[in-house]
Amino acid sequence: MYRQKYIFLLPGLLVLIAVILFPLIFTIRVSFSSWDVYNPGLNDAGGAMYARMWEDARYWQALWRLSLLSVATVLIQYLLGFALALLVWRDIAARRFFRVLFLVPMMTTPVVMSVIWRTIFHESLGPLNPILEGLGIGAQPWLSHPGFAFVAVIIVEVWQWTPFMFLLLLAGLLSLPSEPFLAAKIDGAGPIRTFLSVTFPMMGAISVGAILIRAIEASKIMETVYVLTSGGPGTSTETVSYYIYIRGMRDFQIGYSAALSLTYLIIMAVALTLIAKALMRLMVRGAGA
Amino acid sequence: MLRLSNLDLAEDGVPHLADISLDFRPGLTTLLGRTGAGKTTLLRAIAGLAHPFGQISFNGQDWAQLPPWHRPVAMVTQQFINYPHLNVLDNLAFPLIRRGEARAAALAAAETMLGRVGLAQMASRRPSELSGGQQQRVALARALVKGAPILLLDEPFVNLDYNLREGMREELMALLQSGGETTVIYASTDPREALRMGDQTVLMSEGRALQSGAPRAVFAAPAALAAARVVNDPPINILSARLDATSLDIDHLGPFPRDALPEDLPPGGYSLALRAEDIRQNGTVSARVALTEVSGSETVTHLQAGAQPLVMLERRVQSHPLGAEIRLALDLRRALIYGADGALIAKGAAHG
Repeated sequence: MYRQKYIFLLPGLLVLIAVILFPLIFTIRVSFSSWDVYNPGLNDAGGAMYARMWEDARYWQALWRLSLLSVATVLIQYLLGFALALLVWRDIAARRFFRVLFLVPMMTTPVVMSVIWRTIFHESLGPLNPILEGLGIGAQPWLSHPGFAFVAVIIVEVWQWTPFMFLLLLAGLLSLPSEPFLAAKIDGAGPIRTFLSVTFPMMGAISVGAILIRAIEASKIMETVYVLTSGGPGTSTETVSYYIYIRGMRDFQIGYSAALSLTYLIIMAVALTLIAKALMRLMVRGAGA
Repeated sequence: MLRLSNLDLAEDGVPHLADISLDFRPGLTTLLGRTGAGKTTLLRAIAGLAHPFGQISFNGQDWAQLPPWHRPVAMVTQQFINYPHLNVLDNLAFPLIRRGEARAAALAAAETMLGRVGLAQMASRRPSELSGGQQQRVALARALVKGAPILLLDEPFVNLDYNLREGMREELMALLQSGGETTVIYASTDPREALRMGDQTVLMSEGRALQSGAPRAVFAAPAALAAARVVNDPPINILSARLDATSLDIDHLGPFPRDALPEDLPPGGYSLALRAEDIRQNGTVSARVALTEVSGSETVTHLQAGAQPLVMLERRVQSHPLGAEIRLALDLRRALIYGADGALIAKGAAHG
């Protein structure tokens, strides 16, 4: 009875298989081969690629670096985005102005934006160092020093994606009911206490959503690193996706990059699930008086 | 004592508060007025949420520079306002914790209050999981647990159904019995509520405080025509009358016996305010039925006698077809008599 309803599910199911399941299963199969420029094709290499990955310090360093980069950029984006959203929350004129202004970085293509920032950070030709010298801080080795290059990547990511966080959080703030704020005033909560006890907890669900969306995007960071630093100096700004790109697309080690990709996918899925649960517990269910 | 002196507040030329000067002492005072009379604005001004010109002081302390969160005030509004992200117990504990009480003590006090309002079983639920009546009970409990010396109640039960409203009102009265020296200000549009609840009542209209005093005294003798309109539900009948030495003539209704009004009333033009219960059937004034409202065990009939609208209140459920002609008897001996300036001059002969 009502079997025909499954016919309507079929197109969606076929797309799911073609777009997600087939590439995933194919990647699993490739990861158990040693397909490279010398041995093209799906041979059987067992777990050799995974064993190699286990001892590949560059991969794990890239993963650790990516984690740091993601946490730092998303945290700064969240704090800045929230602060800006709070600033314009009650001011309609400012809200319109900032909403338009902040769309500009989001609308810029990451590669174009990274080229512009690479020019800004250029140590002899860029405008940043003369400005810093004018301020008495002195020129900095933005793209030639590992630490500064890492900071440069963070700055560019924050510049581009803080507006996204701002817009999401502003939408969240505008959707909050006004009554609890009135109640908080009457119940003796000043502005700071109202923020901590009412605004912030009521923004819990939207905050978790915004942080997770940005964390997922940050975990895939590639274009900024590719254009701005090419993973350098050395490998100091190399992220996992960039490293997989080097192994797969530049060195053509297809089997090995498939093993790296699959492991990366599993680690990210587990990590993001744990982060989501922790954030939900901390920011949504844990909200108390 | 809470003292309001010369409060004025207008927005876009519309007066919300106009020269309000009132003293509120411990006990329950009702603010009675129609929608838009300024009751909510007045309560918001006391709470610090509206900022009128004039002075508000409590026990001699000027509140001009005191922000809402430092005022010793609790408030319940028409809307069911609670903290949606907190459970019921934390909702009640919130004002106590904000005041600096230890969390354990605040939770214990909140639990006790929750028991008093009959919601002990709901402590761990979020407000959104409660019915409207329960949500308002939480809001009321949160206001009461604070133990503030001033409790502002802005038509707290208006959004509840009739039975729940009656029940909640009784509960509130019982809870306030133990309120001690609390100054409770209860805004209402319902004169019966004001009569039943208040130690004092203040009549408000168009941002002005028209009259204040004991509810029964105010009801018996509204000092002005506007006050008579506010304090009566169903609406009081206003009749334009002309009196001379031998006769009484009422616009649109014709002549009436002169002796219905006090003998010593000098000839002139007057407004007679006649309550709906002082109009009955089986008289001489002809009127047609415009609308019939049955409320509980009473029937309110709106009639048209020529150009004069009339309202009649009858006991029990009555059936009057629309457009039907009814012969009315107006007991003018029970009328309130107002002069040209709208001030109460005298009462009809039956008031003695």
